[in-house]
Amino acid sequence: MELTRRDLLKGAAALGAAAAAPATTGRPALAQTTQKKELVVGQGGDVAFFDPHMSTSSNEIRWSFNIFDNLVSRHPDGKLYPGLATEWKLQGQTTWVFKLRQGVKYHNGDPFSSADAKASIERTYDPKNKLRVSTVFLTVDRIEAPDPATLVVHTKKPDPLLPARLAFYGGQIVPKKHLESVGPETFDRKPVGTGPLRFVSWTKDDRLVLEANPTYWGGKPDFDRLVVRPIPELAARVAAVLKGEVDVVTQVPPDQLDRINANASTRAVGALYAGLYVLAVNSKNPPLDNPLVKQALALAIDRDAIVKELWRGRGIVPSGPIAKGDNHFDAGLPPLPYNPKEARERLKKAGYKGEEVVIETTSGYTANDKPMSEAIAAMWKDAGINAKVEVLEYSVRAQKNAQKTFKGLWWSDPTSTLSDPDGMMWRLLSPGGPQDYWRHPRFDELGEAARFSVDEKFREQAYREMTKIFLEHFPWIPIIQPYEDYGLQKYVEWTPNSNQQFEIRRFNFKFRRA
Amino acid sequence: MRGFVPFLGHRVFRAVIALWLVSTVVFVVMRLSGDPVPLLLPPDAPRSEFARVRTELGLDRPLIVQYGVFMRSLAHGDFGRSIHFRESALAVVGGYVAATLELGLTSFFLAALVAVPIGLFSAMRRNTMIDHAAMAVALVGQSAPTFFLGILFILLLSLKADLFPTSGRGGWQHLVLPALTLGAFTMASIARLTRSAVLEVLNADYIRTARAKGLSEAWVVAKHTLKNAAIPIVTITGLQFGTLLGGAVVTETVFAWPGIGRLAIQSIYNRDYPVVQCTVFLAAVMFIVINFCIDLIYGLLDPRIRAR
Repeated sequence: MELTRRDLLKGAAALGAAAAAPATTGRPALAQTTQKKELVVGQGGDVAFFDPHMSTSSNEIRWSFNIFDNLVSRHPDGKLYPGLATEWKLQGQTTWVFKLRQGVKYHNGDPFSSADAKASIERTYDPKNKLRVSTVFLTVDRIEAPDPATLVVHTKKPDPLLPARLAFYGGQIVPKKHLESVGPETFDRKPVGTGPLRFVSWTKDDRLVLEANPTYWGGKPDFDRLVVRPIPELAARVAAVLKGEVDVVTQVPPDQLDRINANASTRAVGALYAGLYVLAVNSKNPPLDNPLVKQALALAIDRDAIVKELWRGRGIVPSGPIAKGDNHFDAGLPPLPYNPKEARERLKKAGYKGEEVVIETTSGYTANDKPMSEAIAAMWKDAGINAKVEVLEYSVRAQKNAQKTFKGLWWSDPTSTLSDPDGMMWRLLSPGGPQDYWRHPRFDELGEAARFSVDEKFREQAYREMTKIFLEHFPWIPIIQPYEDYGLQKYVEWTPNSNQQFEIRRFNFKFRRA
Repeated sequence: MRGFVPFLGHRVFRAVIALWLVSTVVFVVMRLSGDPVPLLLPPDAPRSEFARVRTELGLDRPLIVQYGVFMRSLAHGDFGRSIHFRESALAVVGGYVAATLELGLTSFFLAALVAVPIGLFSAMRRNTMIDHAAMAVALVGQSAPTFFLGILFILLLSLKADLFPTSGRGGWQHLVLPALTLGAFTMASIARLTRSAVLEVLNADYIRTARAKGLSEAWVVAKHTLKNAAIPIVTITGLQFGTLLGGAVVTETVFAWPGIGRLAIQSIYNRDYPVVQCTVFLAAVMFIVINFCIDLIYGLLDPRIRAR
């Protein structure tokens, strides 16, 4: 048996009996306003890259979205707002025209213009730059900057989601002239953007220091300095917010929320994750090449029990491949049902003969991955499925992911990068995509057509039909759409973004002052 | 000191052999453990990209050629470029060494300074309540896993009693909990060993003689007991330094301490071969240097060893 950190934390709390009680007992209730000029954030890991086009990981984009601006900004309400572009419109089918904000300056004093926007987007897909966002703007054909305040983007085919692409990773705007003069390596160590935060210093695995940009076009943030502390150990991270050493902690699991809420000076807030936790399926390997078997697997999972027991209610049961909150999410579709009897029927119909079904899980790559695997394997055994759980180390998972060599099922937490099925289901499941283990001609035809249509009615119909096909073939078995939770001091007024952006601009963050 | 130069030469030769073996084992084990390339690229990167990065990192060459390159560079003090951080591995590790030395040496001296008097006192007051209590605490220190102790200290001494910060590196207050956590095992081992070593010496004839001569108890303890019990104590203390380096991996993670232990773990996960190789190499050097110092101390403590 393997003990998780959480088990030991529980043990520790029980042993030190007093520690199980609300932590601040005996201390005067802390003020719920503050005069602080410094925001301190504790996150689960350190930053490795400051070049915004070098990373898609949450510990890094949290800061790159604040050191840099995008042309378009997705606010915590899920809608698109002006960023460095003040307005945009589609001309014809394939030409997007963006009007750019004037008078914006980079942190080094250089003025921002359309040449920067053009160079930033072109840089992402130029193979010689070896960037990690190289696939974000593949629909772009060419870009023009006719004057400093106008950017014209021509797409290869109609691309209804270009503004949404510009609002997420890959879309951060970097200073062309500065980048050319210092080179990418220096730029990655000393980033310069137009965003509300300026880079000051970074001590690896200790602290990242940023300061407020006093001349930010959206208003100076409500603090002078921001310190990011990587605190990998959950118990230490939660203790740091309970004790008031940090103002915000990220990646708080459901079983810690009561402690944070019971403490006089802190509270927990969450946002429904813009994405799903799914068991992806290698539909090429028997018995998973049989849709009836996959239907049985989906029917035999009691997702309500998983949400209630393992997530303490911090999640919802998905209805299909489209996350709640996304474009074309069908609110009329019921949550995926639990029906072990029907599962057995379908196994019989499929001629299932007890072939092994393997879940290759990680332990802690996504929250609750291993406990969920064990629970699901037990549910499957109850339904007569010969289920087995194998635990992989994270780098082995990465290798299998790259080589497409998973045996059966594995955890994936697809993020909906565009708030649209195109940025999640189609990005991952399309032919040649990272999870291309199953093909269906009609599904492929619709996915391709919906990607390149500016007719939202057509797209709606296409995604409805794709959902139907999906629910028959289950290239993913969706399990949960969880909340992502944060712990805050009560004097922090802030709403989390569902897509892991950490929005501290004036409109979304303030300290409650006395 | 007669024969010191040959002694030194012999030790240096053995140290070089040890470092070569350690480097080779780490080189082989890291390459057996997996490929860094899938961790560097987005999952939707094309196959050609994987091949290109592998070539760029020299991972497409035969293992024996990679080993030759590694050894040649090592001889020049070059550990290569970190795959993850994209800068010199030595510079990356160098940024973490100070934090580990600060924590490791504090724990080491804390352990030695606390444990030796406790062990001595326990032995002198054998089978009293104090002896039983001290040895019970030592047993807990020796058997509790490092990160369990760390979390317990955070909950009790930081969160509950509000004595120290929960984590991070800063002033001396930040050092207390990680140093206690890291030093607990060492402290317990040294205390227990000191107790038994002192007990053994206390039964020796020359102690009886010293007492019979009418020497004061303090003189008997300081001059005759401690000095004779010192050899095993010093030996275990030196060996415990290795335990400290191992424990640093966990302690630094629990307390968000930016040291080489935490760097090593992350670099292993990232398959950052050059950083892991450099970290292990430096740790081996530290261990060898400490044990060399211990050997010199033997000579100072025991003239018989010096004469050999």
